[in-house]
Parts: sequence; C-alpha cells; structure tokens
Amino acid sequence: MVDYAIETIELVKRYPTSARREGGGVVFQGGGRVLISGRGGGVQSFGGILSAIRGTKGPFIEALHGVNLKVKKGETFGILGPNGAGKTTLIKILCTLVLHDEGEAYVNGFDIKKEPDKVLKNLQAVLPESRGFSWRLTGRQNLAFYALLYGLGDKEAEERINYLLEFTGLEDRADDMYQRYSTGMQRKLLLCRALLRDTPILLFDEPTVGLDASSAAEFRGLLHDKMAGEEGKTIFLSTHNLVEAQQICDRIAIIDRGKITACDTPDNIRYKMFDEMPLYITFYDVEFSEEHEKMVVMLQEMPGVYGVTPEIDHDKSFRGISIRVDKNMNLSSILEIILKNGLKIRKINTQEPTLEEAFIAITGQHPGEPSPRGGRRR
Amino acid sequence: MSMGLKLKQIAAFTKRDFYSWSTYKTAMITQLINVFIGVFSWGVNATYVQRPVSEMYGSDYISFLVVGIAIGNLIMPLVQGVERQLNPWTLETILMTGLSTPVFVIGNVMWNYLFSVITFVPYILIGIFVFGAKLNMNVVATIIAFAISAAILMGLAMISTGMRIVTKSTDPVTWAINVLQNLFSGISFPVVFLDSIFFPGASAISWLLPQTWVYHLCRLSMLTNPSLLDPAIQIQFLKGVIFAVILFPIGLKIFNWGVTRSKREGTLGWY
Repeated sequence: MVDYAIETIELVKRYPTSARREGGGVVFQGGGRVLISGRGGGVQSFGGILSAIRGTKGPFIEALHGVNLKVKKGETFGILGPNGAGKTTLIKILCTLVLHDEGEAYVNGFDIKKEPDKVLKNLQAVLPESRGFSWRLTGRQNLAFYALLYGLGDKEAEERINYLLEFTGLEDRADDMYQRYSTGMQRKLLLCRALLRDTPILLFDEPTVGLDASSAAEFRGLLHDKMAGEEGKTIFLSTHNLVEAQQICDRIAIIDRGKITACDTPDNIRYKMFDEMPLYITFYDVEFSEEHEKMVVMLQEMPGVYGVTPEIDHDKSFRGISIRVDKNMNLSSILEIILKNGLKIRKINTQEPTLEEAFIAITGQHPGEPSPRGGRRR
Repeated sequence: MSMGLKLKQIAAFTKRDFYSWSTYKTAMITQLINVFIGVFSWGVNATYVQRPVSEMYGSDYISFLVVGIAIGNLIMPLVQGVERQLNPWTLETILMTGLSTPVFVIGNVMWNYLFSVITFVPYILIGIFVFGAKLNMNVVATIIAFAISAAILMGLAMISTGMRIVTKSTDPVTWAINVLQNLFSGISFPVVFLDSIFFPGASAISWLLPQTWVYHLCRLSMLTNPSLLDPAIQIQFLKGVIFAVILFPIGLKIFNWGVTRSKREGTLGWY
C-alpha cells in the first residue's frame, strides 16, 4: 500500500546555462545557483564530446536543491514561491517532461525516471502554456483527438467527453471552434483534457494565471469542490496567489531558490512564522496622566509583552494602546491592569498574521517577485 | 513624428530581427552557404537543360525533370511534416499522453503525405499534357518504390526532428543531408553528370545518399517500366530497402535522444 501520492527525496535539478566563470568567481543567473562544471570549458576530450552530446556539459544553474516532499492521497497541496524558485521545474519533473539529476521522485509509488508510462497513467498536468489544441477544431473534436491518444475506446471516449464538458460547464460551447473560446474556456478545456484519462493525481502550474477574477473563482471552485471534494483527486498546484493557496490547499510548501523552506497547513505556516502578535486596545476618551504613564511601564515589564506604544492625541487625550505580545500569552492579565487604572475599553483588536506576511518573512520577497541573485536568505 | 524617428524605429525592427536571426548560429551559417549551393545547382541545370538523359533512364530531360519535381513534392512532407508540426506546446502535451515515437512521427506526416499523393497526379498530368513528358511506368514497381522511399524519408524525418528538438533551429545534420541532396542526389540532373562536372567517379558519392535512392527508384519505376523479375532491378530495389532498414531505427534512436536531451536540459518547451 503506497502512502503518498507524490514523494520526492533529495530531488536535484541542474540546467545547463550560458553563464561563464568571470574572474574566477561564480556567476549567478536567474533564481538558482550556478555551479561550474569541471568539463565546462569546452570540448577537450572524448568525455567532453560525450557530455556535449548528452547535454551534461556544464556550467549549470541549480533549479532544485534537494527537494523533499510528501503529498498524501486525496490532498490538495500547493507549492508557493517567487518567480524562478523552481515551482515549474518541480511540476515538469513530476509529469516526466524534465529529467532530474539526483534524488528520487515517485508518483503513487512509481519511479518517475524508471516507470514514466505508469506515472503518466496516474497523473496528468494542466500547464497553462501547453495548449496543443487545434484552433479550427471544436472543443469536442479536440478532446476526441486526445481521447484517442490516451487510448480510450470510442464509446468510452464519447461518454467521458460528455461528462467532462458538463462537469466543467462547457457543454453549450462544445461544438464551437477552439479559436472562439475565451481564456477561461480554454483553461477549462485544458482541464477536460487532463481529466480524460481519469487519473487520481492532477498537477496544475499557476491554474488561474491570466484569468479574470470571476473565472479564477469559478476555476478554484472546480478544483476545490468538484475535483478534490466530489472526485477525491490528489491535487498538486503551484501558485504565487496566496489567497488561492489559503482558500483551497490543505497543505502548502514554500520553495525558495530551489529549496523547500516551509511545509505545513496554511494556518500553521502563518502562526509558526511569528512569535508575537499585535494587540490594539481603544479607550473611551480620557486625559493621559502620570498613572497612565506608570501603567505603560508596568505593561512593558510584563513577561510576554515585547513592546507597548500609547496612542496620545495632541490634546493629551489617551485614545488607546498598541501592544506586541507573545502569540500564546494570556491577555486577561493585560486587561486587568488596564481596568485597574480606571480606563474604559471601547474596542479590542488582535491582528493575525497573513500568509503573505509569512511568505515575505520566509523568502524575504513579495510573491511574484523574481528570486534574487546570490545565496540563500532567511 | 519626425522622419528621423521613423527611420530609427524601422532600424530598431531590423536590429531586433538581425539579433534574433544571429542567435540561431547554425541557421545563420547554413543559410549563407545555401546561397552558394543554390547558385551552383541552377547553373548545372542551365547547362544541361534539354540534354537527353539517355545515360540513366533512356528519357528526355523534361520527362526526367517532371518526374523529379513530382517526387520532390511527394516526399517533401515526409521530411518536413514532423518538424513543421513540432512546437513546444504540442510536443509537451503529446509526450504526456505516453504516445509511442513511431505513432507520433507517422501520425504527424500522414495527412500531408496523403494530400501529396493526391496532388502527385495533377503534377504528372500537367507534365504530360502541357510539357509533353513521356512516362513509361510500372505501377507495381512505382508503389514499391514509394513505400521504400517513405521508410527512408521517415527515418530522415526522425533524425531531423530529433536534432531540431535540441537545436531549436536548423540542425547541421539535416542541413548537410539537404546540401548533399541538392548537389549529389540527382534531383534535377542525373547523377552520372557529376562525373563530368566534378571528377570521374564523383557520382559514386551520390549512391551513398539515401535521397538518391528515393529519386532513382521512383524514376526507374516511372520512366523505364522495369521488370521486377529482372535480377538487376531487384538489386536496385534491395539497395533501397537496405537504406530504409538502416535509417528507420537510427531515426527512432536520434528522435528519442533529442527528446531525452531536451528533457535533461529542460528545453522541451522552448523554441
């Protein structure tokens, strides 16, 4: 019994690059780290010629650097990272379009290098740039063509295509030429094609990129409610849309410069990244006095309090107080001190960290930004 | 907008296209060399036009040329079919279906080939009725010659496609094959002429080229009404079969090598 739908062990991928040694140093290019191969300086020997033919002649850029992931069956798993972090490379390795250099990767227990045919019977991918549809055929005709390539029988193909067109809400436009389709409809047809074989695992690379807000929401609904919910499929998606990740993913991994830097539920990633949280307390108007000043000092000295900032107007009106506290702190002790000082509380707010804040804290960048050059940062 | 700016903008387009062209190093070099090859081929044609082609097929030049052009039209889709269909979106998608290489290759050229077979007839009819070409055809031999030619050219197509998947442009192997074809395989003049053009025995090079056998077997079948029971003719066809048997598996190997290398380099989805 295989426990995981997808498992990668110390996965490494290096791409040949045009970067060359400059002044003896290492040239960084894109998001990864450039490694200078010993055989990179030109064809000097039979081994050099052989590696040139095989495409293993350096120098290389390291796109994935020992990636370890375990995706459970039936899980919706998101991989997040800045541009150039290695998300697409990972997805293309999993769907056998890119060969990894080191490490192991399994899809439903099948080794992706040794058993690619079995892998492709367990997994299909929706890659936004990989259309492969004939513009002057209808959506249905395009699907029928691919159904044949997948080896479906005529009747089985017809039934499956009808089901998928209805499933994705494309049945009314199924007999229109593909060139008449909107971007959202094209994306749905990609989904239909990926589902033709009814594989238990589906990969999506930036599933909603290029879609307008309502099409994106509809597509997310398809993924989350129908495919994951009704059909119980394992979904592995890459995105830098953090709202999307938080909405539909059971777990996420953050990849940065080819390395997984965090992997957990979206909530745990948000909370684990921060030891403190802000607490805002607003008072009914009162003049700021010496007692209040002493109260601020007392609060500052409390264990679990990292900082206290009173909010005082130019007319000395004591509006409220912001306190940075330990995320696990019992807040009643703070409230007790405030009430003892005769202050009347109008409002209490705490602000939970967002996934975006966690992402920035982990990667040092905003989502969608390219991975910076140079070494790893935390 | 000033004229100066407009000229600069036109120059910007030219510069962009030049830079793009110059990044395809192999294509750049081969295109330049092709200019010289083209001039040479047409020079030879001009020299030998209207000369009887009795040396090889007992035919007049126009019959020889019409059949050659018709065959060229027939076989071109086989060589170009796969690489014309080849774009990164299609290739990645098709590979994810787990389709076998021969099915992919044959599937991609089949319609173009069938269409060429249909258009082969008007070529021949126009040649006969407009230009007075005289055919002396053995239909069975012609069909066999076409089948052997298809296998040879499919092998070449796979070699070419495998190389193009890696180079994303003109590949040196296909280019060399095409150049040698233009010079030596007797598309528009009989290969025996090469002995008098270059040096005695130069035509021997032609017989090492698979394309020569494509043209030769088709012309033999369409211009000389050969008897398939004649051992001399059987040997000619056997030589063509040997080329096909060697080239097809080599083509498969090179196509798979191209895909594997491109997967290793992560360039399958690149132009």
